[in-house]
Order: sequence, then structure tokens, then C-alpha cells
Amino acid sequence: MVDSYLPMFLTFAISLIACTVMFTFGHFLGPKNPSPAKNMPFECGNDTEGAKFTRMNVKFYLTAILFVVFDIEVVFIYPWAVLFKGLGWVGFATMLMFIVSLLVALVYTWKKGGLEWES
Amino acid sequence: MNALRDAGIEMIPYLIAFVVGYLMPWRKEWFERFAVGSVAALSVAFVLGLWPDKAVEVAETRPEEWGHLLNLIVFLPLIAAIAVVFLPRQSPKLLKQFTMVVLGVDFLASLALLGVPMSEGWHFQYVTEWVPSLGIRYHVAIDGISVWLVLLSTLSTPIALHVSFGSIKKRTKELCFAFLMLHGAMMGAFVSLDLFLFFVFWELMLVPMILIIGIWGGVEKIKASYKFFLYTMAGSMMMLAAILYMAWVFHSIEGYWTFDYLALKRLVLPEDAAFWCFAGFALAFLIKVPMFPFHTWLPDAHVQAPTGGSIILAAVLLKLGTYGYIRFCMGMFEGPAWEASATLAGVAVAGGIFYGALCAWKQSDIKRLVAYSSVAHLGFVMLGLFSGTHAGVSGAIVQMINHGISTGALFLLVGVIYDRRHTRQIADFGGLAKVMPVYTALFVLVTMASVGVPGTNGFVGEFMVIMGTMVSDSLGRHATPAAVGASFGVILAALYMLSMVQRVFFGPLNNPKNEKLTDINSRELVAVAPLVALIFVFGLFPNILLSRMNDSVGATVRHLAEGRIAYEAHAGATTAKLRPKRGGPWEAGHPSPPQVADVAVALNAGADK
Amino acid sequence: MIDLFIALSPLLTVGFGGLLLMLAEALGKPANNTGMSPDGAVVVDAGAGRSEELGLLATVILFSGAASSMGVWLADPATLGVELVSPWLQVDRYSLFFSFILCISGGLCTLLGGGYLEEHKIDRGEFFTLVVFSTVGAIALGFAGDLLTVFVALETMSLGVYCMIGLRRSSPRAGEAALKYFLLGSFAAAIMMFGAALLYAATGHTDLAGIGAFVGGLGGEASGETAMVIVGMLLMLIGMAFKISAVPFHMWAPDAYEGAPTPTTSFMAAAVKTAAFAVLLRILLIAFGDPRLMSWGAGWPPVMACLSVLSMTIANVIAGRQSSVKRMLAYSSISHAGYLLMGVCAAMRLPEEASASVMFYLAGYCISTIGAFGALILCGSRGKEAVSYADLAGIGRRHPAAAAAFALFVISLAGMPPTAGFFGKLYVFRATIDAELYSLAIIGLLNSIVGAYYYMKVLVFMYMREPIPGAPIAIPMRSSMVVSALIIAAALVVAIGVLPGALLEMAAVAAAALS
Repeated sequence: MVDSYLPMFLTFAISLIACTVMFTFGHFLGPKNPSPAKNMPFECGNDTEGAKFTRMNVKFYLTAILFVVFDIEVVFIYPWAVLFKGLGWVGFATMLMFIVSLLVALVYTWKKGGLEWES
Repeated sequence: MNALRDAGIEMIPYLIAFVVGYLMPWRKEWFERFAVGSVAALSVAFVLGLWPDKAVEVAETRPEEWGHLLNLIVFLPLIAAIAVVFLPRQSPKLLKQFTMVVLGVDFLASLALLGVPMSEGWHFQYVTEWVPSLGIRYHVAIDGISVWLVLLSTLSTPIALHVSFGSIKKRTKELCFAFLMLHGAMMGAFVSLDLFLFFVFWELMLVPMILIIGIWGGVEKIKASYKFFLYTMAGSMMMLAAILYMAWVFHSIEGYWTFDYLALKRLVLPEDAAFWCFAGFALAFLIKVPMFPFHTWLPDAHVQAPTGGSIILAAVLLKLGTYGYIRFCMGMFEGPAWEASATLAGVAVAGGIFYGALCAWKQSDIKRLVAYSSVAHLGFVMLGLFSGTHAGVSGAIVQMINHGISTGALFLLVGVIYDRRHTRQIADFGGLAKVMPVYTALFVLVTMASVGVPGTNGFVGEFMVIMGTMVSDSLGRHATPAAVGASFGVILAALYMLSMVQRVFFGPLNNPKNEKLTDINSRELVAVAPLVALIFVFGLFPNILLSRMNDSVGATVRHLAEGRIAYEAHAGATTAKLRPKRGGPWEAGHPSPPQVADVAVALNAGADK
Repeated sequence: MIDLFIALSPLLTVGFGGLLLMLAEALGKPANNTGMSPDGAVVVDAGAGRSEELGLLATVILFSGAASSMGVWLADPATLGVELVSPWLQVDRYSLFFSFILCISGGLCTLLGGGYLEEHKIDRGEFFTLVVFSTVGAIALGFAGDLLTVFVALETMSLGVYCMIGLRRSSPRAGEAALKYFLLGSFAAAIMMFGAALLYAATGHTDLAGIGAFVGGLGGEASGETAMVIVGMLLMLIGMAFKISAVPFHMWAPDAYEGAPTPTTSFMAAAVKTAAFAVLLRILLIAFGDPRLMSWGAGWPPVMACLSVLSMTIANVIAGRQSSVKRMLAYSSISHAGYLLMGVCAAMRLPEEASASVMFYLAGYCISTIGAFGALILCGSRGKEAVSYADLAGIGRRHPAAAAAFALFVISLAGMPPTAGFFGKLYVFRATIDAELYSLAIIGLLNSIVGAYYYMKVLVFMYMREPIPGAPIAIPMRSSMVVSALIIAAALVVAIGVLPGALLEMAAVAAAALS
């Protein structure tokens, strides 16, 4: 068992050594000249302001998760389309059920106001 | 035309259910009633659909005995208990009358059991499948031993309930339910010949009894009911383990499942297993009896229980322990029972008869005194059983009946005085003979019976037990000391009972609260009269009892000796064996292997694959 | 093709029923009394305030799921072309038995929910959809014959339950309970996934039968594969021990059970546990059914025996010390997991008899425990929910019907006749004794004495004690849905308790289909 995993362990070891060496040398060899401007956190060129943790509106999460849900369907539909003939009517009926359940989910989200940004 | 008639007959249960449902006084509108009726009919269909319809042939039916008599006696109270749930609680009178009528019918039905001579073998036997896949059968029958206990119960329960109606005014519905349920379960336990069925009834008794103690009991009622519940539960769990083990051993020898007493009785277990199974059963029964050192629940339960509960407890429930010992411990574990009997007899004499009597002597509470006297009396019963002789066992059974009658009567009479004064302390009384002459006379009579004065029933039982102990083989060289000790116990009984009577009823009437006491009223007199009558009937004509139990006791003693020999012949073996069938009337109704050994296999054969 | 869909009809009925429920919830008219937001603001939500109607629909859906399970059972699934979905979904009588129980349990829970949510003003329509979809997951867990479907089904089941626990958003306890269950549940799922990964790495199979065949082909000597199989198996078992809340993986259970709305609690105690046992038995007997893994020396029986003894003993001792009935019932469900694990242990020698006993026990246990929680719901109302023993004081006198129902279910949980729990206990103990695990059986019997104490405490408080003067009194609620759930449960408990034959035979047939 060990034989088959040896290359992986070697990769781990080499990358670990390389990182350690680079950081150590950088730390000791690099010139240090701190100033307040350099110590400030850097964010897209603007000064940071406000509290460290702000609560995001829950709608962002909702939208994100809806995106994932409806995006993933493609993952299933694509291979099904490729193998459409081989799967036959069983495959068709199964996919129909899948699409219907997504459709119902969409209607549900819509009617429940999940797609409304304002309000 | 015949087909039509058959169809009509098949419809009868549904129609009855429909009509009952329709007539239920809950709803007004006809369609609501119609719906209830339909639901009732559907429930009947459901139940009938679940009911296994495999008929079992009983070996030989006795033509003069009606096979359903025991079913009637057992299930009438149980069904009535369910019916009570649906009766309105606003009309206690209806509830009381209904319950008394049911118990009266039950008593009359049980009198019919005396209509046939109790010859060798089982009587009024009825067998049918209950849970075929587990090998559980509904198998009921009586012999000369259980018939008396059945009669004792059918007599005691109405009396106890009658007394309770006098003193308990609240929650009549629960009271009726609990008594009917308890009564049905006790009947079932006395007549079951299937160990599983016995266990079901045995457990079924628990909840009604704790309700009786816990709802209508005294100050410490909750503690007493916990104690009663946990003690009994502990015993019964070990019994369940033993039952399951024996059924399994039988299955591994014969290849089919059964919990039938007649089948499991044939098992001859190796020493270890036999000892542990015996211990499991004996623990359950000795707790119920109760025998020292498991007796500590009894005084609490008796003192805290209402009068009716005490009567049932003393008259019937404790008898289940002794009955169980005769039927199951002596019936199935002849070897261990024989070997343990000398030790247990010593415990019965020292711990039961002496210790119980001494405890009773020092009590200041009358009811507690009577409770400890129960411990002493049941010590006699157990001693008789341990002796394993014909006289000893007969004496023990007679003593069981006597104890039920006389101690039941004593509790009843203590209840009478408690209802009037709300105290049971001996010190609060004195000189009651002056204000309550009839009551005093009855109390003294019952005391005489309890002490065992010749001419009363108590004498017969104790005399036979001592006689049987004297000649016992199983006790060996301990027989004489045990017998002498027991006779000494009779003297102690006289000591504590009579000193109590003297302090309560005679002497000066110096407590002013006692001066206004009224004598026993007609309700109480009606309740106690049959018991007092029976004291003399059985005291003067003990042959009524003895003649009917003679054959059964003979068989018990004979089987005990035979079983012991088989057990000793099997000594040293590591596996169990099955004794060949004895044949004859005592094995009528023995289960036969099912057509297909295992139901799961049978069903599987036709299932997928 | 139609055959296949007929065979899968329990799953499809409940699944599409769930979709229908979603539509009914989203498209229906909002009720007028929708003041259920924590801050008192009126929330316009189409699903709010319609508990009765949605609950009834959900119940109908779940009961028709039960009916279709029964239908497929009678039609004999083996003839229905189910090899197309095998080994991912195993449609056999084993899984149909479980889907039957799960649908009945789910249906009873939605009935309870219909009454409870309205009474306590948390009537959000999502609850019913979540119950139905969780039940879909639970049914699929019973069907699952592959580690991947096991995982998917487990997560489907759990996701719904996480939300159902936190349904009462205004209550911090509910939030804590939901978070606790979520974190530990995901943790358990991760552990299980890791175990599945190891098993795949060692055997090259994810289907249980394939793993079983590979394990059977392993030699006796110690090798890397053997080690990985054993570690993988242990990790899978730990993951499942979390779901069945066996000691020492039970710490989430009392808090989650207590913080959740009571119908959710009953669903967790009944359906989630049943589904977890369904998959546990299948994995143990199919994937690890090799004689060497079913021995005391090496394999799962000692692990299961330890879990069983710990669950029974610790849960029973702690349950006796609770003052809250809901928490007591939570611990009691842990101790029942212990009794069930005893039956699982017995499967090492007698796979068929023991698994039949576990299945029968589960059926009785589900109905009784849902009934007990339902009776607890019935004993309280909006003003005061019945939670502690003291809340039950005097109920027997004031509200005899509620008390009688509670007493019946508690007696069944204690395993006394004439109830379903009695036969269940008997059957499990019989299997344990037949498998010659005497000490386990004795420990179990001793534990049931301890258990009887706290079950009796309920009777004592209901019938023998009176409320402390001045204390707020829990007034029983009025709800035809809760009452009908209790009537159905009570009828089943008594029917199984008096005439268990039919169900016993079903369990035996179902267990035979497993091997």
C-alpha cells in the first residue's frame, strides 16, 4: 500500500520544504522598513472603514443558493442529453420528474417572494 | 339458501358493532351516529382480520363442560372494564350498578365450575392459537387447586368493591375500571396454562393495583405504590428471562416454538440452567407472596391502600405468589425446588412465621399488625409447599383460602373502624365492646379464625401444614425442627392477635371520641357476612375443599417426586433433554408441532426469491 | 418501465405529494390571522395560518405513501423490474416494511403538527413540506443499497429536520437546539463520509453487496485492506450512532429534543431513528455480514454491545432524574435505542430473527413514542405548554381522556401488556436470549425495571398528585387533529398489543428479504 502512495507523499514533502525555505529566507533576508501607511490593511486602494464584521443581507445568500440549485440542473441534464437514446423512456420520465420538481421549486420561490429584491 | 344464512351469520358481529356504535350517546345527528357505527363495524373487521383463524384441536373435550366458561369468567370483567371507560362519569350510580352486576355474573359463572367433580386432569380446558409465529397459545384450564383460587377471587372482588363504594366517594369511574381490570387479570393468571399468557396477565395486574393504592390510598400512598410496582417488576423481569430461555431450549430440541406449560414442564435442564430458571421464577413468586426478606413492600402497601385494595391484596394478589410457586416452580423445576426446599423452609419458619409474628406483636397500627400477620400466615403456606407432601400441600392450599377469607375479613373490619374514626392506632381505642357490640363480636370471631382456633377454618390449614411438614422427605432432618417451630408460631399468633383485641375492644372506654361510635351498618354487615359464614363452613366441613383438590394435589406431589428423579438421573449433563410424554389427562392439550415448523420460513417459501 | 415506477411508488407518492404540498402552500390564499412574526408585525405569507388544511393534506399524502408501500408489498417487489435501480435503491420487502412505518409515523407527526402549530402561533406552512421531504429522505434511507445513496438520503432526511427544530424562531432555545443538531449532524455525516471513503479505497466498491463480497474474499491474515475496512466500518458505525443517538454520541439529543417544537421532537424520536436503524441493519448484515466480522473477537458485535449497554444504562439513570417530561422522553428514546441495539447485536448469530425483532420493536416504539409526545401536546395549551411533571399533576382528574391516552402510551413504552411495546420488548429479548447473549439480556431486563420507575412517575403525577396551589395550571388544548392522531396511535398500540400476529409475520418476511 505504501508503494502506491509514495509519489503523493513525496509531493507533499517537496512542497512543504520549498515553502518553508522560501518563507524563511524571505523573512530573514528581506529588508524591513515599516511605516503606518504600509501597516494599513489594503483593500482595492480605498481606506477601510466601519466595523470588522457586517451582516450581509440574507437575500444575497438566498440568491446565491438559488443560483447554485438551478445551475446544478445543467450538470444533470447535460450527460442525460448525451446519452438520451441509450436511456430510453425511463430516462425521459426520470428527467421529466426532475424538471417538474425544479419547476415547482421555482414557482414556490416566486410566490413566496424569494425573487423580490425590493421590500 | 344455506349460503345466504351463513352470510347472515357472518354479518352478526359487524351488525352488533354497528348498532352499538350507532346507539352511543355522544352525538345527536343521525349521520354522525351512522359514521360512528361504521367506524365500529370497520374496527370489528380489522380485529377479525388480525385474528389468527387456525383452529387447534384439544386432545379430548369433556362433554359435560362448557368450553367457553373460563373465557367468560376472564373476559367478562376485562370487556366490562373497557365498557366502563365509555360510561358517563357523571352518574356514579350507573357505574356502581354496572360493575356490581358484572362481578355478580362473574361470581355466578364461577360457581358453575363446582358443578363437575374435579377428577384427574384439566377441566374446562380451552385452547386456541394467539400468536402462531411466536408459538404463543391461548390455553386456559383449571384443576382442583386453581378452582378454589378462582372462586376466592370472584367472591372477594365484589365484597372489596362493595366496601369501597361505602368509603370512597370520589373518582368512581376510575375505581370501577381498576377493579374490573384487576379482577380480569387475576382470573386470567389463575387459569392460564401458557407461560406467556400467564405473564401477560401477571403484568396486567400491576397498573390497576398501583392506581388503587396511589389514587385512593393514605398519606404515604405514592411511596407505597412505587415500592409495590418496582418490587413486582423486578421479580417479573427475571421470570420473563427464564420463560424466554426455556422456550428457546424447547425450540432447540423440538424445533418449534411454544410457551405452553405442559410442553415446557417436560424439559429437564442441566443443573446450572435449572437453578437459574428456578431462581428467576421463585424470585417473582416469593416477592409476591411475600416471603422474608422480600416482604418489605407489603406493610406499606397494605397500610396505604384503601380498604377494598387491602382486601384484594390480601385475599387474592398474595395468593398468586403461592399459586405460582405450586404451579410453575414445583411443576417445572422439580429438582431445584426439592433441593432448595430445606433452606427455604428455614427462611419461611424463621423469617416468615417468627419474624412476621414478632413484628406484628410490636405494631401500634392495627392495619400494619394485620399486614404482618399476613407475612406470618403466608409463612405457613410456603412451609406447606416446601414440605412437598400430600398433607402439607393440601394444608397450604386450604390455608391460602383461609387466609384470603379471614385476613380479608380483618381488613374489612379494620376499614369499618377507620371510616368512623380516621385513625388505626391501637392506643386511640379501648373498650369498644361497649359501644359497638356486634362489631366486636364479629371481630373476635374473625380473630379466632386467624389465630386458628379449632372449629374455624384456620385450624384445619395450620394443622395439616404442620402434620405434612413433620413427615416431609424433602426437608429431611430439618422436618421436625420446622414443624415444631411452626407450632410455636401458632402460639405467637394467638399472642399478638389477642393482645390487640384486648387493647382495642375491652378495658375501660376512656377516649371520649369513641363514645359516639355507631355500630356496624347494614352495608358493612352484608359485606362481611359471607366471609364469616365461610369461616365456619370451611372450619367444620373442610372436606368440601379437600375432596375437590385431592386429585390435583396428588398429581402435583407425584409429579414433583418423578421430576426430581428425572432431574437427578440427568445430573452432570451439560445439555437439556426432554422427558417423554406422560400421556393421560394431565397432558391433554399438549401442543403439537405446527404443520410447517417456522412461520417465517413458510412465508418465505412463497415470497420473493 | 411502469413496473419500476410502481415499485418506487412509495418514494414517488410521498415525493410528488411534497411538491403538491409546496404548490398548495404557495398558491393558496393567506389566512387572515397571520400575526406570527416574533416582533408582532403581520407577515404576509401564503403558507401561514393554514396549519389545519396543510396538515391534513400532508397527512393524506403520507398515509397514501403507506398505502402504496402496502400495495407494493402485496404485489411482490421482486417481480417489478427493480434491478434497474439496484444496487442504488433496493426495493424489497425489507425496505417496504420500513417505508410503511415511516409513512405512518410521518403522518401522525403532521397530524400533531396541525394542532400544535396553530395553538402555539408558529403555524408556518413550511413545517409540513419539511416533514414530507424528510420522510422522503427517511424512506430512501430504507431503500438505499449503496453508500452514495445512503449519504444522499441521510442528508435529505436531516436537512428538513434541522429547519423543523428551529421553527420557533423567536425562541433562543430552539435556535440553540437547531444549531447543536446541525453541527453535530454534519460532523457525524462527515465522519460517515470518511468511513465510506476508506471503504471505497479498500474495496473499490460503494455498493453494500460489493463491499460484502470483497470483505468475504479477504484472507484471514492482517493486511492493509483489512485495517482500512475495519476503520471504515467503525467510522460508519460512529456516524450512524449519532443518528440513532446512542450513548456516548447522544449529547445533542436531549437539548435538541427539548428545544424543538414537540411534533418535530416526535418525528426525530420516531422516524429519524427508525430510518437510521433500517440502514444500520442493512449495512451491518449486507456489507459486514462476513462471519469474521460478526464475531466477538473482531468486528462489530462488541462495539454494538458496548453502545447498547451504555445507552440503556446511562440514559435510564439520567432519565429517572429529570423534572421535564419532554427531556425524560428524550432520554427514554435513547434508552430504547439501547434495547434496539441489543437486538442488532443478536443479529450476529441469528440475522433473521434478530432483525425481525428490531423491526417489530421499531414499529411499536414509533407509534407509542409519537403517541406519548402527542399526549404531552394535548395536555398543554397556548397559555402554558405541559413540559414538566408538575404540569401533569391532576390531569387524570381534570382531563381523564388526555390522561388515559398518555397512560396507555407510557405503559407501552415501559413494555407492559396489553400494548405494542410489550410484544416488541418480548421479541427483542427473545432474540437476544436465543443468540445466547445472556448477560446482555439480563442487563436489558434490569434496565427495564429502572425504566419502569420513570414511566410510572408520569402515572403518579397524572393520577395521584394535585398541582401546587397557585402554580400556573396547564390547560389541555382542543384540537381535533391531535385527538385523531392519538386515537389512531392508541388503536394501533392496542391492536398490535393484543393481536400482534400479522405484524410479526410481516416483520419476519421483511427480515428474510434482507439476507
